[in-house]
Amino acid sequence: MIRLVVVALLVAVAVLGGYAVLNSGPESGTPAARADLLLPIAAGDLSGFRRAVEPYDWRFPDDHGPHPEFQTEWWYYTGNLATSTGRHFGYQFTVFRRAATTEPLASDSEWRTNQLYMAHFTITDVEDGRFYQAQRFSRGAAGLAGATVDPRYRVWLEDWEVTALDDQARRTAITAASSEAQIRLELEQLKPPALQGDRGLSPKSDAAGNASYYYSLSRLATQGTLTIHGETFTVSGASWMDHEFSTSALSAGAQGWDWFGLQLDDQRELMVGQIRLADSGIEPAFGGLLIEPDGSTRPLASSDFSIEPTGTWTSPHTGATYPAGWTITVDTGAESQLMLVVTPLVPDQELIEGAIVYWEGAVRITGDATGYGYAELTGYESAMRQRF
Amino acid sequence: MNPVLIRLTQRYISRRRLQSLLFVLGITLGVAVGVAIDLANSSASRAFGLSVSSVTGRATHQIVGTSSGLPTDLYRRIRTELGLQTSAPVIDSAAQAVDLDGRSLRILGIDPFAEAPFRDYLSPRNVSAETLAGLYAFIVEPNTALISTALAERYDLQPGATIALRTRTLPEVTVQIAGLLAPDDALSRQALDNLLLVDIATAQEITGTPGFLSRIDLILPEEFDLSRIEAILPPGAALTTPADQRDALDQMTGAFRLNLQALSLLALLVGEFLIYNTVTFSVVQRRPVIGILRSLGTTRRQVFFLILSETIILGVVGTLLGLLAGILLGQGTVRLVSQTINDLYFRVNVENVAIPGISLVKGAAIGIGASLLAALIPSYEATHTPPAGTMQRSGFERQTLRLIPYVTLAALLFVAGGLALLQISSITLSFAALFLVLIGCALLTPLAMLTTMHLLMPLTNGIFGVLGRMAPRAVVRSISRTGVAVAALTLAVSVIVGVSVMIGSFRQTVTDWLDTTLGADIYISPFNDDSGDIAVDIDPAIASDLQAIPGVEWVSTVRSVTVTAPDYPDLPPVNLVAPDTDVTHSGRRFKWNAAPGGDYWGALLAGDVIVSEPFAYRRNISRENNTIVLLTDRGEQSFIVAGVYYDYTTDQGNVLMHASIYRRYFDDPFVSAIALDVAPGVDPQAILQTLETDALIGTGLQAQSNRALRDNVLTIFDRTFSITVALRLLATIVAFIGILSALMSLQLEHTRQYGIMRANGMTPRQLRTFTLIQTGLMGTTAGLLALPVGLVLALILIDVINVRSFGWTMDLTLAPQPFIQAFAVALAAALAAGLYPAWRSSRHSAIQALRSE
Repeated sequence: MIRLVVVALLVAVAVLGGYAVLNSGPESGTPAARADLLLPIAAGDLSGFRRAVEPYDWRFPDDHGPHPEFQTEWWYYTGNLATSTGRHFGYQFTVFRRAATTEPLASDSEWRTNQLYMAHFTITDVEDGRFYQAQRFSRGAAGLAGATVDPRYRVWLEDWEVTALDDQARRTAITAASSEAQIRLELEQLKPPALQGDRGLSPKSDAAGNASYYYSLSRLATQGTLTIHGETFTVSGASWMDHEFSTSALSAGAQGWDWFGLQLDDQRELMVGQIRLADSGIEPAFGGLLIEPDGSTRPLASSDFSIEPTGTWTSPHTGATYPAGWTITVDTGAESQLMLVVTPLVPDQELIEGAIVYWEGAVRITGDATGYGYAELTGYESAMRQRF
Repeated sequence: MNPVLIRLTQRYISRRRLQSLLFVLGITLGVAVGVAIDLANSSASRAFGLSVSSVTGRATHQIVGTSSGLPTDLYRRIRTELGLQTSAPVIDSAAQAVDLDGRSLRILGIDPFAEAPFRDYLSPRNVSAETLAGLYAFIVEPNTALISTALAERYDLQPGATIALRTRTLPEVTVQIAGLLAPDDALSRQALDNLLLVDIATAQEITGTPGFLSRIDLILPEEFDLSRIEAILPPGAALTTPADQRDALDQMTGAFRLNLQALSLLALLVGEFLIYNTVTFSVVQRRPVIGILRSLGTTRRQVFFLILSETIILGVVGTLLGLLAGILLGQGTVRLVSQTINDLYFRVNVENVAIPGISLVKGAAIGIGASLLAALIPSYEATHTPPAGTMQRSGFERQTLRLIPYVTLAALLFVAGGLALLQISSITLSFAALFLVLIGCALLTPLAMLTTMHLLMPLTNGIFGVLGRMAPRAVVRSISRTGVAVAALTLAVSVIVGVSVMIGSFRQTVTDWLDTTLGADIYISPFNDDSGDIAVDIDPAIASDLQAIPGVEWVSTVRSVTVTAPDYPDLPPVNLVAPDTDVTHSGRRFKWNAAPGGDYWGALLAGDVIVSEPFAYRRNISRENNTIVLLTDRGEQSFIVAGVYYDYTTDQGNVLMHASIYRRYFDDPFVSAIALDVAPGVDPQAILQTLETDALIGTGLQAQSNRALRDNVLTIFDRTFSITVALRLLATIVAFIGILSALMSLQLEHTRQYGIMRANGMTPRQLRTFTLIQTGLMGTTAGLLALPVGLVLALILIDVINVRSFGWTMDLTLAPQPFIQAFAVALAAALAAGLYPAWRSSRHSAIQALRSE
């Protein structure tokens, strides 16, 4: 009897053991796997792309549109808006284009393209100290994303779009919505395009071709609505638009950049920026631009201004430490230097969802002049080369 | 329990080692077969579910179109106008990997940017810039693909290597491996095994479907207003849920799996008799002991539990061994089952056997339950006879003989009950009825034995003399034991007869059907082999080119596609077959034909359809209920069914529509197969030669003669039934063990009697003969009884089970061969089982045998 029980137990152990071994792994669920993409990065070959070498012959409104002969292009809208009661918001709406190859491939497929698009949309709610961000990707095919000036200027990624309301694209509308926030804005261009660098050729290092074509619409009167979690605010304020296209603009030693688009209450605007090099130096080729109330511009060499951080902020999301607050001193050609104190409206305006982590946020200006603006800080989480 | 009684049990089991072993073996086999089939079924079902979810991912809804697909613009509108970010375009197609053993791969064309909410393979969320750049390359480089690590390992493919494919439209296209899909776990590994993940642009290019998508996956919030989507759907598009589609597809194999399950239960039923037999023996043999125990004051309860616990111990051991054997056997059956599913239903790759706990619990419950059930009657019987009575052997046998009329009455009641139950139209109940009838027939065994022995006595007397007279009487005298053994053998053999007749009839029906259906001389279709067949779109221009070949009299084409029938959302999509010529030359056979003058081809030309028998059965289509609605490129269209024809291509059934009508409702110029009629006097072989060496080069198509195609169909047919044949064999093995065990016990019990016989001058040789005559008689009885029982089984299988499971009518074909074979098996099994007992009994010396008293 005892022996039989022992045998039975042994068999039971064998069955259960076999069951456990053969049946390891979860019982149900969706199969999960991760693609391990091993193809070489397609951006390796830039030879076919046009590079920014000569000053550019600008024609608007056509040059608001895409320049597919260049590898990379972006349309960057930022703005500071407020309700009639003074509740302040910042927004960013950016569409990036990147070409994988110079020529589109011949194909019957409407999905086949060499153009890829990415868009970022953020809202900064200053009162609540909240930052809402969303990103999208799409290919420039099948009507899903693209940029055009035919018949009018329009850049879109699905239902996020900026579209001209008149043939000259002096008035444009921006629509974007995420699961949390939404904007519907109308923008009116108050000043002519301000050409950065040398007639729009903005060098990023002293090597020829390491440059971009770059202009700004530095003051766009903006009004419309902004919705956060279902609550809609009627807002107005000013926006800034940057349009830049290039092929491999950054030099190998570049670590990242700090960029400021500042709109002063005296109707001047100031773009200053610095490209930080890996050896802790600053790229001397990259400068800035002062735009007078009448739209005339004054190019600034890197030696004409200084950007001194006054504090730091360490991201709880990525661990990256960014400067937070600056003293910017600019030699505007006037008798005394213009000294501006720039302070982020909300510390955490870090975009973390994308492949590129950067800080892009609304700032307040005090000091010799007052106003609002946007700052962009890249390369603090990792180096920016070979990215968008 | 009293320790003395425990020791008694232990002694008994260890003394009757061989019998205990046979008991355990009976249970083991029964449980093993049941578990193996259950595992095979659930593994196939699970593999199917996995392959579905690996491509549907987390979608809550899907938009599907007709065979021509959905326009891409619908997707754009969903993204931009409805702002539905949780939507993804999908191209779902198949290809054959020419160099990878012709393996068929599932092409899944996706937009990596839309994938993240649905499938985890490619997610641009929270990935490194390097991965993003790789993703860009995957999108912009044509003909790049991702495959699973398992597939790469199997064929030693490194990233950068190429795979040659044959797709729906391209005879040869090469894709480059851009990377590997590393599954998170074994489950995903299996699901991804045959996946070829490509960008949607590549998918369109290599499957030749620019402008179209197979479907759009959606994740819709609970409160989403579906009418917003429905409002923008083009004609031919439908909003559905993956769960519905999966259920409908899974249901396709439901009847097939139920049939297998029922067949596996047959093995257990035979095993049940075997267990009953063994327990009865242990009781009968110990009647004196039980009598003494009872006389000494042991209670009925104690005796009852003594016997029951013996059974439980052996039952548990047998069950556990059965589970183990079932798991092992499952590895083999799963291959057979999945092969059949591949042949009949859809592509499913079952790489490993999943062992759901529920299968094991079921197996254990069946094994232990069966042991208890079988032990219940003998235990009760032993405890409810007065102590004096249990000590008398002859009394028990007399009593058994007196019981025969009642047993026979019960048998008739079982059979009648079973036949009555058959009238209810339910597959499960039909199987229950089948079992009732079989058990009823088995209960007829004692009567049949008495009759047979009576009838055969003169014969055996004539041949073997005294031994020939003694043997039948010996069988009848021990009817309580021989009866059950013969019943088990009868059941097993009748299963052989029934299943053989059913398969034979089915095969003959299909052969006849092929004769009428395959009317053309040469058939041209995409390359097909065992490992994969993919639906292919043949350019209709090829068909016109073939017309120009000298000697070709007529070229006909057929288009077969699956379309949605909105009225039956819970059934799989409809197979629509659209020929442009009646290759049967009006020879199609009809269940009913309502076309005017029987001219069904005329009715088809006029826009009606005809449907095959399984199709009509599943959807209750009759002369009165004679319309079906199909989702076409012109929206939902209603068609009149002019007749129901016999067809055995698929148990899901077909709808047959004239090609000209099909083209009116579907924007689909392609054809699926081509048939050629050869001019009189021209050798089809010569045309085949021309086709192979010239006309079909580079088209990816192959030509087959009428004969070759027919042989192929029958090969697949035979393969389909290989699992059935295997189960039939298992039932026979169980029966064989049963009869061996019964005879062994008999021999043991008769040791003293044989001693007396030997003492009275019977030679060992005569004793051997005596034993073998007995077993031969038992085999003969079983064989004879199994013939009518098997025929009844065949009739139920053909006329009830098959019709209710698959909707097929088949003609009963009676050939002598299965009957002769079955009888031979019964006789041979019985004689073979008698050899060892005969040898043993003849070896005992008279003195030894008498001493054993």
